[in-house]
Amino acid sequence: NGVAVLPAPQNLSVHSTNMKHLLTWSPVILPGEMTFYSVEYQGEYESLYTSHVWIPSSSCSPTNGSECDITDDITATVPYNLRVRTTRDSQTSAWSTLEHPFNRNSTVLMPPRMEVTKDGFHLVLELEDLGPQFEFLVVYWRREPGAKEHAKVVRRGGIPVHLETMDAGAAYCVKAQALVKTIGRHSAFSQAKCVEVQGESLPL
Amino acid sequence: FGPCQVKGVVLSELWKAFWAVKNTVQAQDNITSIRLLKPEVLPNISDAESCFVAHALLKFYLNVVFKNYYNKRVEFKILKSLSTLANNFILIISKLQPSQENEMFAIKESAHRRFLLFQRAFKQLDIEAALAKAFGEMDILLTWMEKFYHQL
Amino acid sequence: ATCVSGGLPQPTNITFISINMQNILRWNPPAELQGAEVTYTVQYFIYGQKKWLSKPECRNINRTYCDLSVETSDYEHQYYAKVKAMWETNCSRWAETTRFYPFLETQIGPPEVALTTGEKSISITLTAPEKWKRNPEDSTVFMQQIYPNLKYNVSVYNTKSKRMWSQSITNHTLVLSWLEPSTLYCVQVEAFIPGPPRLIQPSHKQCVSTLEDQASALKVR
Repeated sequence: NGVAVLPAPQNLSVHSTNMKHLLTWSPVILPGEMTFYSVEYQGEYESLYTSHVWIPSSSCSPTNGSECDITDDITATVPYNLRVRTTRDSQTSAWSTLEHPFNRNSTVLMPPRMEVTKDGFHLVLELEDLGPQFEFLVVYWRREPGAKEHAKVVRRGGIPVHLETMDAGAAYCVKAQALVKTIGRHSAFSQAKCVEVQGESLPL
Repeated sequence: FGPCQVKGVVLSELWKAFWAVKNTVQAQDNITSIRLLKPEVLPNISDAESCFVAHALLKFYLNVVFKNYYNKRVEFKILKSLSTLANNFILIISKLQPSQENEMFAIKESAHRRFLLFQRAFKQLDIEAALAKAFGEMDILLTWMEKFYHQL
Repeated sequence: ATCVSGGLPQPTNITFISINMQNILRWNPPAELQGAEVTYTVQYFIYGQKKWLSKPECRNINRTYCDLSVETSDYEHQYYAKVKAMWETNCSRWAETTRFYPFLETQIGPPEVALTTGEKSISITLTAPEKWKRNPEDSTVFMQQIYPNLKYNVSVYNTKSKRMWSQSITNHTLVLSWLEPSTLYCVQVEAFIPGPPRLIQPSHKQCVSTLEDQASALKVR
């Protein structure tokens, strides 16, 4: 069986933004044919209760790049151990294990991209579709001194959502932040974007 | 769960994980004349009691059901779902803090009797059959959890 | 009547089609026996109980469906059903469904949608989908009573601007005001429930036109 003769990958690290988690490592340069890697993970349960169990990553067992999208493997907000090894034919390297377990609650949350438009008097917002984990807190107001802010939770991105029926001649502004319930965190607010409604203001 | 507030776990991830293997796992349960999570075990539980019952059941799933399932030769799809469910159960149980106050004794006892109904039925089966049945009945457990679960 | 079991291939694709708790068992005839005078017998089983039960109205039938709504009306229980085919003296082995859990698997039918238009407004009134009932005179139970977290997604399409937007509501009325007059708007509503993946049936798309703008109508005269 494959004795560990290949060099093991080094410099494992995870880059996580908006709940997309990418495991990267330094490529192993070997002469001749292509080098492959296998990635495995172990959640807190496995490490506590069944430490011998490691689960092959859904998308990188094997892979020939030096990175692996582990988003679909990290499915709980608990620490995960991750390891990678080099494989070529029947030869394998030793496992390299991520120095510190990765927890998705450390992901970097960016403000969502959004498009603020209007359909006649209707203020319509379309937020970036960041996936099922995301909801959005949307804050909107009429652009005038002392204006009151209104807030609404939008459950999904990727579809235009009706925010408000606007008054003629007024301008309205919107900002939004991404909420991720599974990690109990939210992003900063996006830059505000405003739209103006044509027509003179209406008689009271 | 009643007095235990559980935040940060979205049941949709657990549903997705279980639904991916539901038919496969339930097909492995041939003893259809036995239901572990009987109507007497779960429905009609008071809020106060639900915390104790949830804690006992989740602990059993972590210590017995999932643990033994890992030792079986299961297909990759089931292993992935198992990992998602087990790691989310660890998170839920870490947040479930059943009250230890004295006046809760009667409620705790009632909860324990409910759990014993489940555990006794489990132990009456051969371990392989019991594991398949307990895993297959997670839709009943998750449905019950969904009713009690207070999200963020 | 006794028959040679296994002499026929089994019915195929046996499954419950469930909408608002009306649970109908459906299947396809055995592959090679399309058109033959095949009859079928259905039985059902309540998970956790002891024996298979028969439904007399679904014994020796030649249709390929059987309404088991009454037999599976307790939606907190789980069920199996099975069908066997018979032809002359031969019969198939039983073909069985997977475990069926009405509470989780029933499709939520669309709400009824009533639209009334004004000059610059459309009032949308929704009537929640009703749970199937045994007799028409039985009291009505709305699906929202079974699923308190049921929500509606209302989609509105302005045919003039070609813009679509949606709104998620929990109550049964929504007034779209300050619309463009004399404009055709199309509305579609679907009900959804957080939880396991569930088939959704949107309402039929309904299009109505807002009335003519009275002010400009007067100017014209």
